[in-house]
Amino acid sequence: MVKVGYESRAVDCHRYIDSVEPRFFSYMTNPESDMPEPSRRRSSIEAKRYIPPWTTPYIIGVGGTSGSGKTSVASKIVSSMNVPWTVLVSMDNFYKPLNKEQRAQAFNNSYDFDEPAAIDMDLAYECILNLKEGKKTNIPVYSFVHHNRTPGKSTTIYGASVVVLEGIYALHDKRLLDLMDLKIYVDADLDVCLARRLTRDIVSRGRDLPGCIDQWERFVKPNAVKYVKPTMQNADAIIPSMGDNGVAVQLLINHIESKLELKSEEHIKELIKLGFEQNYESMKKNKMVHELESTNQVKSIMTMLLDKRLNRDDFVFYFDRLAMILLSKTIDNLASPNKKNIVTASGYSMERLTVCDFNEVTAVNIIRSGDCFMSSLRKTIPNISIGKLLIQSDSQTGEPQLHAEFLPDNVNEYKKVLLMEGQLISGAAMIMAIQVLLDHDVRIENISVVMYLATETGLKRVMNAFNNRVNIYVASIVTREELKNRKSNWALTRFVDAKYFGCE
Amino acid sequence: MSTEPFRNVCLLPQTNQLLGLYTIIRDRSTARPDFIFYSDRIIRLLVEEGLNHLPVMDRPVETHTNETFKGVGFKGKICGVSIVRAGESMEQGLRDCCRSVRIGKILIQRDEETALPKLFYEKLPEDIADRYVFLLDPMLATGGSAIMATDVLIKRGVKPERIFFLNLICSKEGIDNYHKAFPDVKIVTGAIDRGLNEDKYLVPGLGDFGDRYYCI
Repeated sequence: MVKVGYESRAVDCHRYIDSVEPRFFSYMTNPESDMPEPSRRRSSIEAKRYIPPWTTPYIIGVGGTSGSGKTSVASKIVSSMNVPWTVLVSMDNFYKPLNKEQRAQAFNNSYDFDEPAAIDMDLAYECILNLKEGKKTNIPVYSFVHHNRTPGKSTTIYGASVVVLEGIYALHDKRLLDLMDLKIYVDADLDVCLARRLTRDIVSRGRDLPGCIDQWERFVKPNAVKYVKPTMQNADAIIPSMGDNGVAVQLLINHIESKLELKSEEHIKELIKLGFEQNYESMKKNKMVHELESTNQVKSIMTMLLDKRLNRDDFVFYFDRLAMILLSKTIDNLASPNKKNIVTASGYSMERLTVCDFNEVTAVNIIRSGDCFMSSLRKTIPNISIGKLLIQSDSQTGEPQLHAEFLPDNVNEYKKVLLMEGQLISGAAMIMAIQVLLDHDVRIENISVVMYLATETGLKRVMNAFNNRVNIYVASIVTREELKNRKSNWALTRFVDAKYFGCE
Repeated sequence: MSTEPFRNVCLLPQTNQLLGLYTIIRDRSTARPDFIFYSDRIIRLLVEEGLNHLPVMDRPVETHTNETFKGVGFKGKICGVSIVRAGESMEQGLRDCCRSVRIGKILIQRDEETALPKLFYEKLPEDIADRYVFLLDPMLATGGSAIMATDVLIKRGVKPERIFFLNLICSKEGIDNYHKAFPDVKIVTGAIDRGLNEDKYLVPGLGDFGDRYYCI
């Protein structure tokens, strides 16, 4: 487990790394970004019918008095969750910045950090709501050295399936409580809390005994009695924190897991359902799906690529050729609203010529098969920036999971975002990838999905999930009819990237 | 007066992208690296289009799932013939699509005494009569050298309907001159310019393609 400056109460947001299987995670401190994103645009939400697992992540609040052991309970929950992204957010991040006078008090140990008013509940609510809506969220970083938010620094969280919010006032604000799926209060006798605090403050933080006792008497205890203890009644479960509470915590973990399983099942069911609405003909008529014209070139290259005897050398060569034809088609309509007057090298003036700004195009490859387009992308637009997404299906449930996202900076400012994928089979990963772009404020009409092969069912799911508003460019579509005749099962196996990269 | 609409002229679809590419290469302020890159992009589109006109036959193949895919394959062999020097700039585009394609060369220059084009050199595949031929020359202005080169090909036994003349820009006058001599040769091009000036340069054109590409 990664704990960054936890004991100094500085940065308390971390992700759980599965101990068995290394997972990537999108967790970064972005020095450029300001405090929590002001944008609360819901433009993407009205258009979509697909609910990704990180929209409505499972939110758990863990409250309790200082020294009650809530941090250790929260950590146990986080480390036992077997979902890709579990995030632990500490309420400490939301301390209000202090003014000069308050800061002097703080350094003097006479500022009351333990009353609810010390915490910016509005900001906390805004951040958790953002997470609940599946948006990319910046959590501020509070510095206890300066008693201020660290300027220009924040922790970016995106794609969490489970969020654990921990802090003495985690169960205090009504708005936060409404966002939570499970509310846990960790209860310990105040004497025990004092003993724990003293040990921690004196041994780990080098504070002196009289100072600690004074703080306890003046702030911690009165606030605990007045404000913290009453939040117990908001809890769904109260965990004792005397000695070993392993059994109680395990019970909670079991409960959370069963809830997550249910969610995952619903996610898969929803995905399957998306494939059956709307018929193929009407989908082709809506002009959002562009299949490459089946010219002699395209047909003969397809034939070669499907020939199992074609060696890898030729496979790569012909795939790249087809990819360039496809990419060129994808950017055929690219035009800047500006026109240009030029003088030709023979000295003749030409006015109001069409201009293409290839710098307005960026690409995002879905690992691994989207990377088959890398070489053709570079040959079409040499300096194109290329982002990556890793989405994999859970080996047991088949549910797609987002494991990593590296997107071009300001991806929402490009006129065209090409989402590259070798083969579309179930469509689940593609739907998730599109959702990731929407969550980064990319406009849906700026997205062009570029694929070599697609099944009719997969295409329908993608189109249905986003109300037919995504542009799709595909070299070849395999219809349900063709699959039914059991002559096209090759379209259901991921052979493209396996052969292109030479690793099964 | 030209004979529009032209027969046997295949003009690439005038998409925004293609128009944008032409804006770049026509502009005299475009530096050589960009001129080369964007010309190559257009050449690639011309070659792909040219290849599309080749006939195919049924070719079933077995897929990795041991199913039969009813595909097609090209029948017949191809070769390229470039008119030296500017035509050589299009060879790479052809190679990018057909890796080991044979490429013949024809050198035609203006005879200083008669001011007419004169054939200086030719080197062609021996079995060229059996092949589909992609004749490469980026600009079709008057058509003088292209007509002479095509004449060489036909004398070697190539059938006119098996010749595809690929160029980036042609003049209407050039198309008419060329097709008067060889009505059955298909011209594949990306732009048709309005005419020629007194020096027989394309208007508005893009300057001397060979100079801008090679700068010798």
